[in-house]
Amino acid sequence: MSPSTIPRLRPSRSALLLRALGFLALWLALIGTAANDWPFGLLAAAAATWASLALWPPDSRLSLPGLARFVLRFLPQAVVAGVDIARRAMAPRIALNPGLVDYQTTLPAGLAQGAMCAVMSLQPGKLPISCQASGAMLIHCLDTETQVGAELAADEAAFLRILPERGRHG
Amino acid sequence: MISLADSFTLAFVAAGALLFLAGTLGLLRFPDTLSRLHALSKADNLGLGLIVIGLLPQTQTIAGGVKLVCIWLLAQLSAATASQLIAGIAARRQPDA
Repeated sequence: MSPSTIPRLRPSRSALLLRALGFLALWLALIGTAANDWPFGLLAAAAATWASLALWPPDSRLSLPGLARFVLRFLPQAVVAGVDIARRAMAPRIALNPGLVDYQTTLPAGLAQGAMCAVMSLQPGKLPISCQASGAMLIHCLDTETQVGAELAADEAAFLRILPERGRHG
Repeated sequence: MISLADSFTLAFVAAGALLFLAGTLGLLRFPDTLSRLHALSKADNLGLGLIVIGLLPQTQTIAGGVKLVCIWLLAQLSAATASQLIAGIAARRQPDA
């Protein structure tokens, strides 16, 4: 999904407006609807829309059912991650077997890899350290004796379902 | 006699506070920088999530509830990003940490 493989489309006006309205709604939810604040809200929404064009190109699409399934998978995992840490931290003796694990991802470089790394750092026992454009990732694991590779592959497969067919192999 | 909403809030906020305590214990007790980052990013995120869920029944307006959920989402995003950046720097400084 890098800009070089897919010609950058001129964003349609309706897509831009939709984004701007979304950012404005976020601003209103956070700051409130007092009349004095509106000019700043409009300014902030415009700036956010402009920034989002560079950070999240308008031609990228998400699969909503894939996203829903991913969130349903992610939330219990986040609970497991927190409870796992709590259990280890409160144990009378700290039992960790930390180490670095190499992983090769097939996700396209850029936003998809970055998002995958961000999500992974909230999953049980894993913390991505570096991710190169080639897809080579270095991941710190709290317990290297668990089946880290299989877990990572399952996470990646779930993440891949968020992307529509076209964007999967950029 | 406390109401159902209040007991819900008490239970979830207490569980959230317990996770913050666990995250702090991990920060102090885990052996190296990278393991400590695990403790902070994961336990605190779940703790904040539980506190936000616990506080939702107490909000007076829908906007208040949306604001709480936004705070959680933004905190998750920043924790996920910051922990990776710190991990990258820590790993480069001490390759065997």
